[in-house]
Amino acid sequence: MNLFRSEERIEHWLGAREPGATITVTKLSELAHAWWGDHLAPDWRPRSREQNQAILGRLHLTGEFWRLP
Amino acid sequence: MDAVDLELRNLTYAKVVELGRVPAAAEVAVAAGCHPEEVVVGWRRLHDQHALVLSPATAEIRMANPFSAVPTAYRVHAADRWWYANCAWDAFGICASLHVDGQIETSCPDSGEPLSIVVRRQRPDNKRLLFHCLVPAARWWEDIVFT
Repeated sequence: MNLFRSEERIEHWLGAREPGATITVTKLSELAHAWWGDHLAPDWRPRSREQNQAILGRLHLTGEFWRLP
Repeated sequence: MDAVDLELRNLTYAKVVELGRVPAAAEVAVAAGCHPEEVVVGWRRLHDQHALVLSPATAEIRMANPFSAVPTAYRVHAADRWWYANCAWDAFGICASLHVDGQIETSCPDSGEPLSIVVRRQRPDNKRLLFHCLVPAARWWEDIVFT
């Protein structure tokens, strides 16, 4: 899970490996705030798989790649 | 997660914020009023529940996500401290979990070029950067250190 300067840098870094998923850094920040925003709350409770999947879905991170086990 | 594990988990994370780093078992044991081995046993249960990640070589925490206990390529300045994040997602997660603005320092894994991102009001200043996740979500926990 890394940051890159450009799509070309990602392709060069991947080489012969199968690509994963690429999103903008703006969307990454949205995802991180939705995912981790409650993590230090004193009343934190673990989320269910469905709740986590819903966070991804709200950011349109859908499809097989983003399907949680 | 039962009440005992939840209390240990939340105490561990409270110590992360208090100390500015991931705590040792002995430090959490003092706060909990128990023996360090009891903390480690509890941490093993939390590890199995993916609530934190223990080092395979020691009885200490490797990841209290989004925080890393070991130096990484993702350094984050937030809440007047420098932290290590486990990955790019977690770097933003440190700002998110602390509810503060911050600055992320890393480098492009391909070129080695330094990358610096200021996060203000949950938004990065350099919007041209891209995030690549190599491993599908279904396999993240097969090897959480490499995703």
